[in-house]
Amino acid sequence: MVKVINALLAVVAGVGGALLLYWVLNFLTERLPGKWEGRIKPYVYILPALLAIGVFLLYPVAQTIQYSFANQTSTRYVGFENYTDLLGERDFQITLINTLLWIIIAPTIVVALGLAVAVLADKLNTRGENLSKTIIFLPMAISGVAAAAIWRFVYEVRPEGETQIGLLNAITTGLGFDPVAWLQQDTAKLNTMLLMIILIWGQTGFSMVLLSAAIKGVPEETLEAARIDGANERQTFFRVVVPQIWGSIVTVFITVLIGVMKIFDQVYVMTNGNFNTNVIAVRFFNELITNGDAGKAAAIVVMLMIAVIPVMIYQVRNFRAQEASR
Amino acid sequence: MGRRKAIQRVALVAAVALAASACLSEDGGGDGGGGGGTTSGDKNVEIVFGFGGDQSKGFQQSLEAFQQSSGITIKFTEASQSFDTLIRTRVRANNLPDIALFPQPGILKDFVAQGKMTDLSTQLDVNKLQADFVPGTLDAGEVDGKFYGAPVSYNLKSLVFYPKKAFEAKGYTAPTTQEELTTLSNKIKTDGTTPWCLGMESSAATGWVATDWLENNMLVEAGPETYDKWVNHEIPFDDPAVKTAAENFEKLVLADGNVLGGRKQVVSTAFSTSANPMFGNPPRCFLHRQGNFITQSGFFPKPIVANLDAEVGVFQYPGKTAEEKPMLGGGDLAAVFNGKDDDTKQVMAFLTGAEYKGWSEAAGFLSPRKDFPLTNYKSKLTQQIAELGQQASVFRFDGSDQMPGAVGSGSFWKDMVAWVSGQKDLNAALKSIEDSWPS
Repeated sequence: MVKVINALLAVVAGVGGALLLYWVLNFLTERLPGKWEGRIKPYVYILPALLAIGVFLLYPVAQTIQYSFANQTSTRYVGFENYTDLLGERDFQITLINTLLWIIIAPTIVVALGLAVAVLADKLNTRGENLSKTIIFLPMAISGVAAAAIWRFVYEVRPEGETQIGLLNAITTGLGFDPVAWLQQDTAKLNTMLLMIILIWGQTGFSMVLLSAAIKGVPEETLEAARIDGANERQTFFRVVVPQIWGSIVTVFITVLIGVMKIFDQVYVMTNGNFNTNVIAVRFFNELITNGDAGKAAAIVVMLMIAVIPVMIYQVRNFRAQEASR
Repeated sequence: MGRRKAIQRVALVAAVALAASACLSEDGGGDGGGGGGTTSGDKNVEIVFGFGGDQSKGFQQSLEAFQQSSGITIKFTEASQSFDTLIRTRVRANNLPDIALFPQPGILKDFVAQGKMTDLSTQLDVNKLQADFVPGTLDAGEVDGKFYGAPVSYNLKSLVFYPKKAFEAKGYTAPTTQEELTTLSNKIKTDGTTPWCLGMESSAATGWVATDWLENNMLVEAGPETYDKWVNHEIPFDDPAVKTAAENFEKLVLADGNVLGGRKQVVSTAFSTSANPMFGNPPRCFLHRQGNFITQSGFFPKPIVANLDAEVGVFQYPGKTAEEKPMLGGGDLAAVFNGKDDDTKQVMAFLTGAEYKGWSEAAGFLSPRKDFPLTNYKSKLTQQIAELGQQASVFRFDGSDQMPGAVGSGSFWKDMVAWVSGQKDLNAALKSIEDSWPS
């Protein structure tokens, strides 16, 4: 009860405070002589936002970079030791390779599946389209940890001879094979792929919704023109539709990609990085929370940040180009 | 600027400010008590503890009558999800409770080193406690000959459970020495059943079952002195004694045909239900080493839990000789922050006294006192387990709980999993744990 009241008070005070602040600032600028009101007002409005970004984004970034050159408790500088230690370690190299695989494979499949579903659902009648889309979109509403909990049951293994409650092992043993500990199979990175399926299952709906909207936005005339020119369905799709929705495809791809770079919950819940399935965010968590090594944790974050920056730049450019062409 | 736009922007910024204020309020949230514990004679005592659910309810109820008779009001601060974080934050802010129940001696010792804790001899008759408690239970909170933590409840891990009816029907008897255990295990195998059931999968915490096993074998085989040295890193983690203990575990349990499902699957089999094949008809295994918590509901199959006394048997993991009965376990150590509070003294005296019954009528409580009447426990099985605890020749705290976090819940877990599943050989795994020990 106290917590509810506290929360309500926080909402009222937060919103009210912000409103009051802006009202006061607005009131003050309006007192300024003619021209100056117009000149200063935009800055007055943008200043709190800039301040918030500075305090909550830029300052932590600077501090993280600083800590990445310091020891476990951030009390002494150690130069590049955190970086060289990490990069020289076999486990961390595997972690990087796994993360790279995630980045390449997961978004590609998410986009491909999303696109396929969007195109195929488009051909159905309205009812069928809505139904199939709803079903595929549903997993999107499930949090990562919950999704992992569900998939644990799919991959669950029990000793041979016991009733297999895991779907995959129920099939395996039903076909007469021995039960398999799926999440331990690291040959050809099978277990990492099995973890990716969870993310793909969850994200395909998101990709489908955006791409479906984009496909519906393709002007009918362009399709008709292509058909009149003798293009078959496949040519129409790849030469006419895809180029027109390319911007959406890239946006979906990059959104999923950035999410994948930070992938944590599925891996943490399913394997905690055991059996060569570790990824960068889980390693970061274990360095910071389990090992209490702020230096290495910061170094991992800095590496991740450096890896994300080019993607972000590309995305911003892509977005600007789209805006400009509108 | 248009009026609508202005409103939109204000709303946006307000949302940002709101998000920010929500983050901040979490830190200072709740109703913080005064600094430095409550004052003496104000009849108020605050206890912080790290267990939740029924345990928490039972604990609070166990102090109800005392509160009424003594007139002391106890404030219970439950931190079941985040005891470490809570207690560390409060100590850093000098917002100290009067008493905290530490599930891990490591943090308690940290605070002792910082000079935050009170020597128990100023509060209680420690010599008497030493005589009354199971030997070794107080040692976990000992620093430089002074005692800082008295266990209020404890749990036992050197226990082997078996399916009573089938076990007796086969004519098996509980072993009293390690040799007899090996003989029993081999006999079960030649009789055509896999002797052991073992599962280690515990989501993100996978590994603790393996560390419990190794700690158990270290305590039993190398003895409490070597065990303590190993836990405190006075001998290297990969000392030959550790290697021997691990190899014996391997020979007894992990070897081909000794564990249900085979060695490789052990790390993917959920610990919580791994013992259940034991109660099949016929049983698919006969032996399962685990902490006494496994007898609470939610682990064994429901019909078994409903009929524990008739279905489940237990013996202590045997020592080298029948006289040696070392017991591995854990517990909640009550420690005092503010030693100048008479109310606190009274509460401590009650918690460690002979009258304190805990929540023995419910499940999940074992008293570390040697004179605790066994009849206070409801089930025969719990009475038997409690008796094993009282008769233990020496008690030692779970070692991984006392090691630094980077080892105890980091490399020790991970490398044991890698070793059991066959990804690393024993030498490499032990070496890797040794290397991870923070200098």
